Amino acid sequence: MRVDPLLGATVLPEAEPRAWARLYGRGLPVIPLGIIGVFVLMAILAPLISPADPEEQSLRSRFRPPVWDAHGSWQHPLGTDRLGRDMLSRIFYGSRVSLAAGVITVLLASAVEAAVGLVAGYYGGRVDAVLMRLTDATMSFPVILLALILAVTVGPSFTNVVVAIAVILWARYARVIRGQVLTLMELDFIAQARIAGAGAWRVISRHLVPNTLNTLVVLVTLQIGYVIIVEASLSFLGAGIPPPTPAWGSMIAEGREFVTSAWWVSLFPGLAILLVVLAFNLLGDWLRDTLDPKLRQL
Amino acid sequence: MRSALPIVTVSLLSVALALVPATAGWAQAKPELSVALSSFSTEVLDPVLGGHVVKYYLSPMFDYLVGTTPEGQPSRDGGMATRWENSADHKRWTFHLRKGVKFHNGDEVTSEDVKFSLQRAMGKRSTTGYAGPLRTLIQDIETPAPDRVVIVTKEPTLIIPTYLSRTLSTEGMVLPKKYIEANGDDAFARKPVGSGPYKFVEQMTGSHIKLAAVDNHWRIGVPRFKTMTFRLVSEETTRIALLRRGEVDVADISRERVTELEKEGYPVHFRREEAILSMYWVLPRDGQPTADKRVREAMNLAVDRAEIAQAIFAGKADPASIPLGLSWSFRDIGFKVSPEMVYPYDPARAKKLLADAGFAGGFSQDLYAFQLPGLPEGKAFAEAVSGYWQKIGIKTKIVPLDYPGFRKLWVDRKVPGAMGYYNIANRDWIGAYALLEKMAYTPSKANDTVADAEIDGMIAQVMRQTDREKINALMRNIFTRLRGEHYGVPVVYLHSPYATSKTLGKWNPGSVMYDLFFDQLAAGK
Amino acid sequence: MALAILSVVVFILARATGDPLHLILPMSASEEDYAYARRYLGLDRPYVEQYFSFVGKAMTGDFGTSLRARRPVSELIRERLPNSLRLALFAMCVSLSFAFPLGVMAAVKKGTWIDRTAQVIAVLGQSLPTFWVAIVLVEFVAGRLQWLPAGGISGFASYILPGFTLGWFVVAGMMRLLRSGMLEVLDSEYVKLARVKGVVERRVVWLHALKNALIPVVTFAGIYFAILVTTAIVVETVFAWPGLGRLAYEGISSRDFPVIQAVVLTTAAIVAAVNLGVDLLYAVIDPRIRHAR
Repeated sequence: MRVDPLLGATVLPEAEPRAWARLYGRGLPVIPLGIIGVFVLMAILAPLISPADPEEQSLRSRFRPPVWDAHGSWQHPLGTDRLGRDMLSRIFYGSRVSLAAGVITVLLASAVEAAVGLVAGYYGGRVDAVLMRLTDATMSFPVILLALILAVTVGPSFTNVVVAIAVILWARYARVIRGQVLTLMELDFIAQARIAGAGAWRVISRHLVPNTLNTLVVLVTLQIGYVIIVEASLSFLGAGIPPPTPAWGSMIAEGREFVTSAWWVSLFPGLAILLVVLAFNLLGDWLRDTLDPKLRQL
Repeated sequence: MRSALPIVTVSLLSVALALVPATAGWAQAKPELSVALSSFSTEVLDPVLGGHVVKYYLSPMFDYLVGTTPEGQPSRDGGMATRWENSADHKRWTFHLRKGVKFHNGDEVTSEDVKFSLQRAMGKRSTTGYAGPLRTLIQDIETPAPDRVVIVTKEPTLIIPTYLSRTLSTEGMVLPKKYIEANGDDAFARKPVGSGPYKFVEQMTGSHIKLAAVDNHWRIGVPRFKTMTFRLVSEETTRIALLRRGEVDVADISRERVTELEKEGYPVHFRREEAILSMYWVLPRDGQPTADKRVREAMNLAVDRAEIAQAIFAGKADPASIPLGLSWSFRDIGFKVSPEMVYPYDPARAKKLLADAGFAGGFSQDLYAFQLPGLPEGKAFAEAVSGYWQKIGIKTKIVPLDYPGFRKLWVDRKVPGAMGYYNIANRDWIGAYALLEKMAYTPSKANDTVADAEIDGMIAQVMRQTDREKINALMRNIFTRLRGEHYGVPVVYLHSPYATSKTLGKWNPGSVMYDLFFDQLAAGK
Repeated sequence: MALAILSVVVFILARATGDPLHLILPMSASEEDYAYARRYLGLDRPYVEQYFSFVGKAMTGDFGTSLRARRPVSELIRERLPNSLRLALFAMCVSLSFAFPLGVMAAVKKGTWIDRTAQVIAVLGQSLPTFWVAIVLVEFVAGRLQWLPAGGISGFASYILPGFTLGWFVVAGMMRLLRSGMLEVLDSEYVKLARVKGVVERRVVWLHALKNALIPVVTFAGIYFAILVTTAIVVETVFAWPGLGRLAYEGISSRDFPVIQAVVLTTAAIVAAVNLGVDLLYAVIDPRIRHAR
């Protein structure tokens, strides 16, 4: 069931089974999936594969270059940072933190944006108006400022980063979900369900959610990369995940003064972020192209 | 075509030759000075609203009642007062003013202006660093003649000239009474008028402050630089890039990058021992492990200061042994750091002391970690120190709150036993006394980090003394006791690097608190 | 309405950050000094009164006086907002100039390696932390090669590095829009008809396809302009660009309530204005489209 493309971007994708079948035959984006898989494995296996404790300092062995340099050694294959901590271990453990931050934040935000979009679309009228005002207000509060304010009030922490970003992020796409729900509500099978006496919960969970799932999947994938990048920017400003926890964003921020001298301190976490975010973005692009190409504004 | 070639070559050569002396000359006589700083502090241009740190760009605009040498000694050449004397009972200080000095708006500087400025600095609106002590001390200000000011104090004291000099804060700056009374405080803050060698041109907060030279000034003659611009550039890489591109002539840099710039031929000037990085506990100490002197000593012995100086501060720091020990004052008061006072790196003995005190299993310690102007290594430093304490069993938790947040908790005494630190600007003996009065004196309440009755008694005595020898003796005892009771963890003296362009010329940044002393550099031949 | 909610939220948040007096008053200040300063700055009034005073004045454009700089906040904003706007505008131009060729190429050569490469190039901009890109550019392009100014505002050249850093982030989104917009139209009946009629291929591609692809790009550009202005804080910090983002950061660091409140409300107003402008433009460009609201 496709609505006329001229109606704009909030279009209903085809009913569930056919969309997923298309996915299967389409040619999966192997490289992005592979990259993500590698990093997820890295995160899970970090304690097993790390040569050292990522938080162990040794000022004597600070700024050791990677193994291929004349002064490097296999003890620290990717070198050490300013406090002598092993870079490779920090990259491994950092994947846990960065990926966790990205995934948790986006799941939280998506849960809220889905809830808001569904409720606003289903009930319409006053409820819709109020929720949309709330969405507008939230959307215009700059994410970074909120994170900074929290950091300054209660001190930076993992929780602060997740909360600050999630609290603003949901507002961005709540309207998209709502738009889809609105279009769905006009369809026959919904009306039939309601006539048959289905309550709000039933209609929402049985009919609306499955049909907005595609959109949600695309949104989730595309936003994970964004969150990881924002965390890096927050670390630069002093509001990110605080030391000594290894997080790629704060590792880059810590090493930014040594871009030419101890280049490995920033470069390797930078590459890690680049690969992971690139992979998520490409995956998201592919998912969107396959499941719902009308979501152009993402 | 062929015949054109020699003509073209010759013309090109002559143009090139003509340009050479021009560019060489231009490289020498650049009439602008541009300084890139990592922090402007409060960025207010009204001297009574800023507190100390603001002096970088205020000193060229205003004159002080009492001048200083770059080394921080009172001088008759650098200030409005050509000489001063005190009465026998040390309660009346008479200052003789320079004649014929004009403010930037043409008004002549008289004793009325000095009186007005001082009253303003002591007024309720003022937030300068030393307004408090002046308020309690000064009883009256007399102006018997346009070139004479007499300051009458309630108690005999030696500190008046220094407190009104360039070495400390901005209380001694001479402001234009008529201009401020006519235009109001707000207009003055937006368009300040002083009597210094440079006058205010424009300010964009968060960006820059621009000053223009007067034609001739008694402080420096005909100024070498027609304009002086201070630029706020918080990111170090950008400051260095600006220096490389020649867009700025002076930039404060981090200690890590000194070697890199020196290798490329950029002169780097150091303000040696510009600050002491001293750690302290939030009071009250009762009930805390640190109430026991042995624990405090252990925490001191566990820190490898030499390694920190090398690793965190790129070797541009020296180990320190006296808590709140401002070394520039030591020579004034005759204080010597004996070999026994130097803390060795002895984790084994530290552990033993902890066990003796009943903490063989260690304890928990919160350490607030923040960066500060002049201390970009703040967080790395905190992590490094916590590593040493972990090794002797003290579970140190890093709390990464920024300094204003920590200060609130410290001053409100919400986190007893937690630790913080500051890079305290080094200063002469009067400045040191002023600091001790804030950070080591219980009646000062909020900022006290020491809470020791004996030290309180000694500081109170210094306040009333006029005999230099007695003052020196008291201050030596204060420092000795601070060290003996381990009232803090002094870590290192920091040397602060300032990189300049290759063509800047000779510059002695001096040892005056928060003042880069551009006078010598800007002085005309 | 949204602004009202925001004003309450930001009022509460700003005051939660702490006490600016600790920064303004010297270490030796006594209890009386604090009390006097509180009275002088109006910080001792009950919160409700402070809130209404703030809102009342804000309606007339008076955002109070900065506690740190002791100057009217509206003056500070007036000084810095144009810088942010200009930079954002320049960044938009940069991203459009990258996104157009990339997007069109990708659409026309859909499915080929050109398409893939263009997509990866675009997405690259979103996959690197902005501050890192900025610092690397400053270090190498400005510091080592010395081709361009490193910081501050000093003529057209100084816009280039910060504008590029800011704009690169946005290229991906725009390029995607252009590509999918063009793809859709290229397939449509209208274009097929035009081809049959014999209009030159290139004209077909550029004129008709571009025009229809423009609409979502306009929407997107509008939203992103607002985002650029409000989140350029990282770029402003690295390039010492005196803009609104940096003002907000300074305000938060010094617990300067009036500044924090004013900046948040200003950015909200900008976002609202841009959204409104985009909606209007949307309707004008293609009156057939009724935006589902």
